[in-house]
Amino acid sequence: MSTMTIPPLTAGTLKAIADLEGSALKVHMSGNADLQSAAQLEAWLHELHTLASRLAIGETVVDLRTLEFMNSSCFKGFVSWIGEVQDADQSGQYRIRFLSDSRMLWQRRSLHALRCFAADLITVETN
Amino acid sequence: VLTKDAASFELIFRPNIELISVVRKFVESFYREILDHDDITFRLALATHELLENAVKYSSNGETIIRIAIHRSDAKEKRVVIETSNKAHEANQQALLALFEEMNAEHDAFAYYQKLMQRSVKRRDGSGLGIARIRAEAEMSVRLNLEHDGRVHILAEADVAEEVRA
Repeated sequence: MSTMTIPPLTAGTLKAIADLEGSALKVHMSGNADLQSAAQLEAWLHELHTLASRLAIGETVVDLRTLEFMNSSCFKGFVSWIGEVQDADQSGQYRIRFLSDSRMLWQRRSLHALRCFAADLITVETN
Repeated sequence: VLTKDAASFELIFRPNIELISVVRKFVESFYREILDHDDITFRLALATHELLENAVKYSSNGETIIRIAIHRSDAKEKRVVIETSNKAHEANQQALLALFEEMNAEHDAFAYYQKLMQRSVKRRDGSGLGIARIRAEAEMSVRLNLEHDGRVHILAEADVAEEVRA
């Protein structure tokens, strides 16, 4: 495992992988993000932020297109992660781009709420 | 009961974390069969999931009852009621009372949700977002009934218009 990334996460049915591609971190998530995975997901996102800050990443792309569902506890993990990015000084901040699937109906509403929470940092692309 | 105009069921069980997603998928099929609309099905399944997680976290004896009822409220609408009932410790009852009191004072469900999201950033004891998410994302009204014996009932309700069917 390279120090340029973090170990993949498997918690319950949730799987998350992060890879460095060019100047961006690419994250892919699949399965179900629920109570079984909430604590581990929040810790993993914190680790992701530490890595992104260390590498002075310009953008993190989070592909949620195969993430079936996210409960409020895991959603809170994303809120805390975004809060960490907001709290970082200007040089430690990076943009977050979510990739979503219009057939996953939870994504439209939940990602809208995240975008409103940090409109200057977050974009959402839907296919 | 299961017709296109009225449908209901009740489950009494000891929910565990693993079962909640199973129940969400089951009720998702139920909602889709009765209401025949993807977005409404998703909203109701989300609300059911959050209510069940709430029950798992705060039930004092592990047992939870979930009741789901759909009935025609008038010529154009159906009313959906999702209710969880469980016993809760005094401290959790008081926390729920405080949450509902604060939430009910804020009429803009989305603005309140955003406020709670901001508050949850540094929170370490759960998200505190589940009930507000039902109001803001599932677009349901939510109310709390407390009984003297410590039984907690949380009801999520919505009117579903026939003309928005897919």
